[in-house]
Amino acid sequence: MTAVPDPGIAVSVTGLVKRYGDHAALCGVDLEVRRGEKIVICGPSGSGKSTFIRCLNALERHDAGRIVVNGIELTGDEGTVQDVRQEVGMVFQHFNLFPHLTALENCMLAPRLNRGLGKAQAQALAMKHLERVHLADHAGKYPSRLSGGQQQRVAIARALCMEPRILLFDEPTSALDPEMVKEVLAVMEELAASGVTMLCVTHEMGFARRVADRCVFMDRGAIVESGEAARFFDAPASERLRGFLAQILH
Amino acid sequence: MNALPVDLALAWDSLPALLRGLQVTVLITALPLVFGLALAFPLCFARMSPRRWLALPAELFVVFFRGAPVLILLYLVYYGFGQIKALREGPLWVLFGSAFGCAILAFSLNHAAYMVEVLRGSLNAVPHGIVEASEALGISRRNVFIWVKMPLAIRYGLKAYQNEVVSFTKGTAIVSVVTITDLTAVANSIFEQTYDPFTPILCAAALYWAFVNVLRIGFDLWGRWLDRHNAVPPQEQAQQRAAVAASAGEIPVPAPRRRSGFRRPVL
Repeated sequence: MTAVPDPGIAVSVTGLVKRYGDHAALCGVDLEVRRGEKIVICGPSGSGKSTFIRCLNALERHDAGRIVVNGIELTGDEGTVQDVRQEVGMVFQHFNLFPHLTALENCMLAPRLNRGLGKAQAQALAMKHLERVHLADHAGKYPSRLSGGQQQRVAIARALCMEPRILLFDEPTSALDPEMVKEVLAVMEELAASGVTMLCVTHEMGFARRVADRCVFMDRGAIVESGEAARFFDAPASERLRGFLAQILH
Repeated sequence: MNALPVDLALAWDSLPALLRGLQVTVLITALPLVFGLALAFPLCFARMSPRRWLALPAELFVVFFRGAPVLILLYLVYYGFGQIKALREGPLWVLFGSAFGCAILAFSLNHAAYMVEVLRGSLNAVPHGIVEASEALGISRRNVFIWVKMPLAIRYGLKAYQNEVVSFTKGTAIVSVVTITDLTAVANSIFEQTYDPFTPILCAAALYWAFVNVLRIGFDLWGRWLDRHNAVPPQEQAQQRAAVAASAGEIPVPAPRRRSGFRRPVL
């Protein structure tokens, strides 16, 4: 009964539910993301936004509802999980680089293991993406020798090396010193221009205005409001979004 | 009476015998380290399994073999198993019939029980986020273990492992109770022949010390190699030193408070 997936749809989520014991972290989330669309998800802490994007690559297993990523439906089956993860790159708040590998080796590991690339090929691929995040000069350094902003850019390059169709960002600038936020956002904006589909949990409202096709506001495990960036910020419809924006925009 | 407690001539004469004893000690240390570690991996996986029927037997193994004194374990294996007629006539008698085989077996079981916990602790210390990042890259669980979890766990567990290896090495001295002539047994027999209470035992201690220090140096080199990702490159070190030197010139450093009347001598 599986319908032919619409190739124009990157991510389709319907009725997504995630529970932790008695607590429902997500209670019925629906979202459809077109290919190439940039989505910014925001909301107060505990609103389920991180849980939501972590469900999309099965770092969290959902309890009910349907998730289709790049035409692959996420079921409990490990095979579909691996398939989806090949298509989806993720960048974390705390970078999560492999501390025992250099920046270059961090980028080479997944292509070598998943795609069976030889050392030279993987190296060339890794260098290409390190250049893309402006870190070619630091390729030989270990993460402990890099600043937070540099580490996060390596993490972005590492995700890009799998050449994903979809990128997930989970508060990529929240753990950075203010002066390093800019360099990471700049790289993300360059990526956005390249046409990849992006879902980004962030509180960087300037970034959201410049880059997002659509902003999504989540609260208490549900999407309260979503819309194109300008209307989202300038004319929020719901009381809760108005309250939230007032809080973060000071 | 000699002023030294050590009779140097006796020490020199007993050196060949002591070195032969050391050889046995090295062997009886190295083999259980290998077998015990090999046994510890599957046991550790079982111990960490969410499946109770796997985890419970592994836990019981650890509780028993870590709790049982090695000396008693050794007696049990060497003297106890010999009482079982079926075993005496079976093919495993090759192992249980020899003191050496029994010692290796008992030590391996004991070392494995300790290593299960060392391994488990080290694997649990690997930050969850790093494992998640590997999974998000679509790396299979097996490869995550080989390329990410284990390399990091080795680094976290190295000091605990070194402790276990060193204390285990010295613990092998008890094998003399099952007729194996290791370093301690040789020293003891020289004492029985000469009634010199110090020389043989002190010589044996020196050889143990040397052996343990060879291990220590090995561990240090290994640890430094593993820790290369945290090493500060020399030119950066020089920069840091220069920065410290430069700032020391600028900022007046107050003298530390003294409780006694001590004055820092002017150099």
